Amino acid sequence: MPPKDPELQKLQQELDDLVKKLKDEQKKVADTTLEAVCGSIPDAPKVRLVTKKLLKGHINKVNSIHFSGDSRHCVTGSLDGKLIIWDTWTGNKVQIIPLRSSWVMSVAFAPSGNFVACGGMDNMCTVYDLNNRDSTGVAKIVRELMGYEGFLSSCRFIDDKTLVTGSGDMKLCMWDLESGKKTQDFDAHAGDVISISLAPDNQTYVTGSVDKSCKLWDVREEKCRQTFFGHESDVNSVCFHPSGFSFATGSEDKTARLWDIRADQQIAQYAPPNANSGFTCCGISLSGRFLMCGSDDTSVHIWDTLKTQHNGTLAGHENRITSLSVAGNGMAVATCSWDQNVRIWV
Amino acid sequence: MDMMISNLQQQRQITEQLRREAAIKRINVSQAVVDIMKFINEHEQEDCLLVGFSSQKANPFREKSSCTLL
Repeated sequence: MPPKDPELQKLQQELDDLVKKLKDEQKKVADTTLEAVCGSIPDAPKVRLVTKKLLKGHINKVNSIHFSGDSRHCVTGSLDGKLIIWDTWTGNKVQIIPLRSSWVMSVAFAPSGNFVACGGMDNMCTVYDLNNRDSTGVAKIVRELMGYEGFLSSCRFIDDKTLVTGSGDMKLCMWDLESGKKTQDFDAHAGDVISISLAPDNQTYVTGSVDKSCKLWDVREEKCRQTFFGHESDVNSVCFHPSGFSFATGSEDKTARLWDIRADQQIAQYAPPNANSGFTCCGISLSGRFLMCGSDDTSVHIWDTLKTQHNGTLAGHENRITSLSVAGNGMAVATCSWDQNVRIWV
Repeated sequence: MDMMISNLQQQRQITEQLRREAAIKRINVSQAVVDIMKFINEHEQEDCLLVGFSSQKANPFREKSSCTLL
């Protein structure tokens, strides 16, 4: 039995000391709680959202939904092997894109509305140009981004030229869509990267992972800025708060949480009255007052972010809600589900 | 021996990363919450999920009627 390497032991000790230091520093700035500061503000009004549009068309589970920057169109991806671009104001299907692989897990709409990206168990991310059709009349594939050693779990356009992806091989990749080449490719988490959310100023983003942590990244750097621990199971979804100061998460551990970036810690925890299901997706209203999470229990739960009270639920879907997207102008919330339907709540 | 070396390298990287993360400047939770509250306050009036639509005309999801005023 070789003796334990002394340098390794020294490093381990240093690691333990650093973890303790980090926790101490976080404790030092925890001079109060969110509940205490917000105790005196009036309760938020009860959210009154109804399904204004029930979008039918997919013939299998719908796994992902994302609004375009125009707050009018959204894209959905389903196990029926199609992407559908919807006009949520009319309920019309604007485009139907058949996919080469039906195992789509994540979709993204470029803020400009010009491109959509999707990927999943095909271990690829495919980018379509909505303004250019191919010979069959379908949106042209402009990029097939490959090299993943795991499924594509999440993708987001920073702009028309840049795409960030998270995958089951625990990596994050930054792609330059003009050249079709990766500009960054690095190990990000100790488990599958499940979700990505861009900051309002597009300079940073957060990721959520199966390793129970969330991390904050600068778009130009491969080393993460901060790591947030607290969830007791997979972090299924992350969403930046419109203030840019914090972000929310939804987890398999049946809680949603709010994390402050500059205080470097969790500042609130949210659970429904009967916490019996994990949360698969989350979104925040325009002002940042409401947090909404889609659940395995078929409903969307809503909380007042400041008073941490459960504000209500949106019922309608008949199976697990897989994805949720809030329109950029804050006017609507779109959800999709294993029940094959897409709902627009207004 | 090789495994020990790469293990060492990994440990070094993890420790360096943690050192970076531990060294960041933090603000008080009290200040953090105040800033979030301020943002929410300033944007509440624009948040349709909070205040609703000012008039039905402002709601692009409404059913459009087929009648027009002549």
